[in-house]
Amino acid sequence: MPSMPVGLTRDLPAGRVMHAEVDEVDVVVWRAANGEIAAWNNRCPHRGMALSHGFVRGNSLACLYHGWHYERSGRCSYIPAHPDLEPPATIHATKYAIAEEGGVIWVAIDGDASGSENDLDPLRSMIVDASEETLLTAASATALGGGLPDAGPEGQFSFGADVVRLLCNALGDDRTQVTVLASPALPVPRRRALSRWCEAMRRLAEKGGAS
Amino acid sequence: MTAFTLYNYVLSGNCYKIRLMASLLGLDYETIAVNFYPGFEHRSDAMLALNPAGTLPVLTAGDTVLTDTQAMLGWLALNHDPSRQWYPAADPLLGPEVLQWLAFSGRLTNSAGLARLHAMLNWPVDGEAARRAAVRDLRELELILTDRVFEGRTWLVGDRPTIADIACFPYVALSPDAGLEHDGYPAIRNWLYAVRSLPGFTTMPGIHELHELREPADG
Amino acid sequence: MSLDYAKNDWYAVADIFCLKDGPRQTRLLGTDLTVTGPADTATVTDAEGNRYPAQLRFDHVWTTLGDAPRTLFEIPQGDEPGRRRVPCGVVRVRCSPLRAVENFLDIAHFPFVHTDILGSEPQTEVRPYNVEIRDETDEVWATQVKFFQPQAARSAGDGIITEYDYRVPAPTTAVLYKTCPPKPEAQDVIAIFVQPVSETECDVWPWMALYDDESTFSEMVQFQHEIFVQDRSILENQRPVKLPLDPRMEIPMRADLTSVAYRRWLKKHGAFYGALTEDA
Repeated sequence: MPSMPVGLTRDLPAGRVMHAEVDEVDVVVWRAANGEIAAWNNRCPHRGMALSHGFVRGNSLACLYHGWHYERSGRCSYIPAHPDLEPPATIHATKYAIAEEGGVIWVAIDGDASGSENDLDPLRSMIVDASEETLLTAASATALGGGLPDAGPEGQFSFGADVVRLLCNALGDDRTQVTVLASPALPVPRRRALSRWCEAMRRLAEKGGAS
Repeated sequence: MTAFTLYNYVLSGNCYKIRLMASLLGLDYETIAVNFYPGFEHRSDAMLALNPAGTLPVLTAGDTVLTDTQAMLGWLALNHDPSRQWYPAADPLLGPEVLQWLAFSGRLTNSAGLARLHAMLNWPVDGEAARRAAVRDLRELELILTDRVFEGRTWLVGDRPTIADIACFPYVALSPDAGLEHDGYPAIRNWLYAVRSLPGFTTMPGIHELHELREPADG
Repeated sequence: MSLDYAKNDWYAVADIFCLKDGPRQTRLLGTDLTVTGPADTATVTDAEGNRYPAQLRFDHVWTTLGDAPRTLFEIPQGDEPGRRRVPCGVVRVRCSPLRAVENFLDIAHFPFVHTDILGSEPQTEVRPYNVEIRDETDEVWATQVKFFQPQAARSAGDGIITEYDYRVPAPTTAVLYKTCPPKPEAQDVIAIFVQPVSETECDVWPWMALYDDESTFSEMVQFQHEIFVQDRSILENQRPVKLPLDPRMEIPMRADLTSVAYRRWLKKHGAFYGALTEDA
């Protein structure tokens, strides 16, 4: 399965944890103190608690329920209820491939992860209650400053010289996580306007598509 | 001599706004536990005599009796914040912005707050309508906080946390209690983390400690 | 199949407070019920008008849907004079009723979920304790459980080493007996009566019978609400939702002996409502 965009680099500083969903698999994505990111199955093998509620200490992710620590390798390194115990090597998180490129984080459930090359800046990440097809159709029918976009390939939309690109990660039949990229170094008012264009696109998409 | 008395229920997000603000200001205060649930004591004759609206929290200090959470936040900031930063009431631009966010926080109480009461304590309200309204409010907040990211700013008003942030924080942080997760709101997640990282921050059930800020137990 | 065992147990479906202003509409094991007060002569009926037996015990109305119900267990401390009995209302949780019970039996989570109340880092170690299934009553018991607690009860002053006994008298009820600061020769009793709404949703009724002449009723209820709702956000985030009874699915440690015994007991009795098992 291909890599899916799950969020922006800027939204996951060092020491932070987030939840993602890729190919209907629950995933925890986290960044260690040393800056390295990891994507694991979002389930602590102890009692099934979501690791995305956990906390980062140094380069380990700890589960919120009983504080079990997992190193970057995925191996459980510390069990607070038994501080002197060396946890068996069989206790480990299930790892997935992850890549970070151009300010976007990509996860693959099977195989390697890679980003897509582009010279755009990340704008924002959002969830739309519509299919990818519906929202891309809505995007082409949503105006900005009085003009409809020119629709390009692969979710790219242009407003004159300004480009917006929608990277989609299907979360279900009618639910899509959208990572929005835009032309680099846009002035702040332009970025705010594009962000509002995203809202308008979502409103149209959730009404059932372009009219 | 404590700064005030708070008529309180531990699971109330509105009561928590006052507990949180007091903790951030380093204030001592007296708490009177009111049996909001299951006793509905806030609607007893004694409590209605104190607050005819029949709501919690209630704040008393000397002759002052305040029954609106936003007013209480203003009172705390104006009477117990020598830095005058938590509520810049005299600032002609920032002051009104704070008031606008306080009004927004009232909408959150009636959307996300109500959805939570329905999901957790079976409150007899239209849970689905409350959830839909909560999604609208969360999306609105995400949009503005995304603007803040573009502007290189962290807080809702100005460059410092204010009572605007404290008023909006609880029901946003607690929205997962009603099944409204924060997956689609990365700007909200970062803002929640900033609030939780403030010196003097205190939690309530449903909002966990930032264990990462504690001394590590072991390697 | 999963209902076979479950329907012959008794379940709390109301308390002495909630029937005062009218009947309670609720759902038990997937069946919609109406509970009509007063609590001491409550009636329980379903949508077709069928009546089910009802009894008032431990300040709650209990009912059963089965034709051959087992005897409801006893908690004698509830009748001791001088104790304050505190029904705490009901909290709805989207989790398996069995996960709710198992969480109540667990202490290793205290420093992380009930931070600075029932536990604190670095005092996270769970020392060995005893677990048995008592044949005469067919109940799971854990005894001599000890943990250091910064604020063990409303009646506690500074941090103390708290001693616990845990008891599971039925699949969806857990009782704990803990150190009682004002009266060290006695034990405070705290229980959860879990009403299974469905296999993946439950209404939890916390109840206490303790010695505390200082705290107000509201203060005691709120202490219990605080603890329980801290657990709620854990319970709603465990997967799979149903409790796995296959020991290979979730890895226990020595600290989890009570939960291991509980899962084994459930499997042995075929108490599969809310459980994930090949046999269900």
